[in-house]
Amino acid sequence: MSQQASKLVIITEKLLLKKIAKIIDEAGATGYTVVDAGGKGSRNVRSSGQPSVSDTNSNIKFEVLTPNRDMALKISDEVAAQFFEDYSGITYLCDVEVLYAHKF
Amino acid sequence: MEFLSEFFARFVDKLQSPTLGFLIGGMVVAALNSRLQIPDAIYKFIVFMLLIKVGLSGGIAIRNANLAEMLLPAVFAAAIGILIVLIARNTLARLPKVKTVDAIATGGLFGAVSGSTLAAGLTMLESEGMQYEAWAAALYPFMDIPALVTAIVLASIYMGKQKTKQEALSKQEALSKQEVLSKQAVGAGGGYPSESEYPSSRQEYREQQGKRVEIWPIVKDSLQGSALSALLLGLALGILTRPESVYESFFNPLFRGLLSILMLVMGMEAWARIDELRKVAQWYAVYAVVAPLLHGLIGFGLGMVAHYTTGFSPGGVVILSVIAASSSDISGPPTLRAGIPKANPSAYIGSSTAVGTPIALALGIPLYIGLAQTLMGS
Repeated sequence: MSQQASKLVIITEKLLLKKIAKIIDEAGATGYTVVDAGGKGSRNVRSSGQPSVSDTNSNIKFEVLTPNRDMALKISDEVAAQFFEDYSGITYLCDVEVLYAHKF
Repeated sequence: MEFLSEFFARFVDKLQSPTLGFLIGGMVVAALNSRLQIPDAIYKFIVFMLLIKVGLSGGIAIRNANLAEMLLPAVFAAAIGILIVLIARNTLARLPKVKTVDAIATGGLFGAVSGSTLAAGLTMLESEGMQYEAWAAALYPFMDIPALVTAIVLASIYMGKQKTKQEALSKQEALSKQEVLSKQAVGAGGGYPSESEYPSSRQEYREQQGKRVEIWPIVKDSLQGSALSALLLGLALGILTRPESVYESFFNPLFRGLLSILMLVMGMEAWARIDELRKVAQWYAVYAVVAPLLHGLIGFGLGMVAHYTTGFSPGGVVILSVIAASSSDISGPPTLRAGIPKANPSAYIGSSTAVGTPIALALGIPLYIGLAQTLMGS
C-alpha cells in the first residue's frame, strides 16, 4: 500500500535543531528525520565531522514527510521567516510515494 | 632593572611548559597542512573530563573552606565580565569597518570564560607549586554568565534603536506626505487627520514589548552548556558525595595528558580559523591580541585589591586574571549565535579561537604567574 505525500527537506545550522523540531511538531507533522550534513552553499563551505570547537559550524538536514503540501509549506514558511535572514539554510519540497505507511 | 630581568627569566621558563609546547605544536602541524586529526568526539570528551576534574577537586576542597571569602572575588568576576563587554562596545565598535553588533558579540565572547584556558592555568599553577583557593575555579560562572547576558542585552538594545531610527525616518516621510495631502485636501473642503498613526504606534509598542530581552533564558542556556554543566556537576559531586577514590585513580592522573591533547587541538583549530579572521576587519586581530592581556591585567588588579583586603591568595589572583583573559570557545559561541543572530560568527569566533585563546594561553598565563611571583613572592 503506497501513499502520496510531500517531503520537505530543510538544510540548516545545527544550532537550530531544537527550535525547528518544535516548529515541525507544532505544524502537526507526525515525525521527522535528522542527519548531519556538510557541503558547500552560498555562505561558505561548511563541513561536518572535523573537530570543531563548538557546534556553530555544523549543519543538519531535516526530512519531514507530510500528508499534504500545505503542511509542508506552512513549516517551511515558518522556518524561513524565523531563521533564514540570519542563519544559513535552504528548504525544498519533493513529491514522494510512501511505502508501507502504517500511520501518517 | 633587576625586577624586569627576574620577571623575564621566569616568563621564558614558563613558555617551555608542555601546555604551551603542545599548543604551538598544534599550530605548526596545521600550518604544514598535515592530515593529523583528533576526532571531534574525543575533543568533546576531553573537555568534559577536564572540567569535571576541576569541579571535583574544587568540590572536595570546598567542604572545609570558608565560602564567605568567595564573596568579593565573585563580585569582581561578575564586574569584569560586564566591564569587558562595555570596553568592546566603546573601543572595538567605534573602529572603522567594524559593525557594532559584531563588536558587542566579540566582547561577549572575550568576557565569557574558556574551560580549557582555566584548566591550563590551574595546571601551570600546580606545577609552579602555587597555592590557590579551592573555590577559585567556581568563579567561572560568575564571569561567564554576566558577560554573555550583557552582550546579548546590549546588542538587542542597539538593534532596537536601529529599528526605531529606521521607523522614525519612514514615519517622517509619511508625515511629510500627509502634510502635502492634507494641504491639498483643505483646499478641497476640509481634511480629516488620518488615523493610521494610532494602530501603527500600538504595533510598535507591541513589538517593543515583544523585543524585551529575557535574561533568564540566556542564563539557563549558559548553565546548560556542556562546559559549565560538567564543572557544576563536578562541584556538586565533590561537595555532596565522596568521589576521592575515583578522583585519585582516574580523573587526576589523566588530567595532564588530556590537557596536552586538548592544547594540540586548540592549536590546530586556531590555525584553521585564521583564514576566517582575514575576511573580517583587521581591527579584530588587533583587539584579539590586546584584549586578553588587558582583561587579564584588569583581573589581576582587582585580584590584588582582594588580596590586600580579604587575603585572596596570589594563586587565586592568577586564576581570576586567567579567566578574565580567556575567551570562551565551547559554550559561548552557540549562546551568542542564538542570542545575537545578526552578528557575524567569523568575526567573534575567529578572533577568539585564532588569536585570543592562544594569546591568553601562551602569553597571559605565564605573565600573570610571573607577575604574582614577583609582586607577592610565593
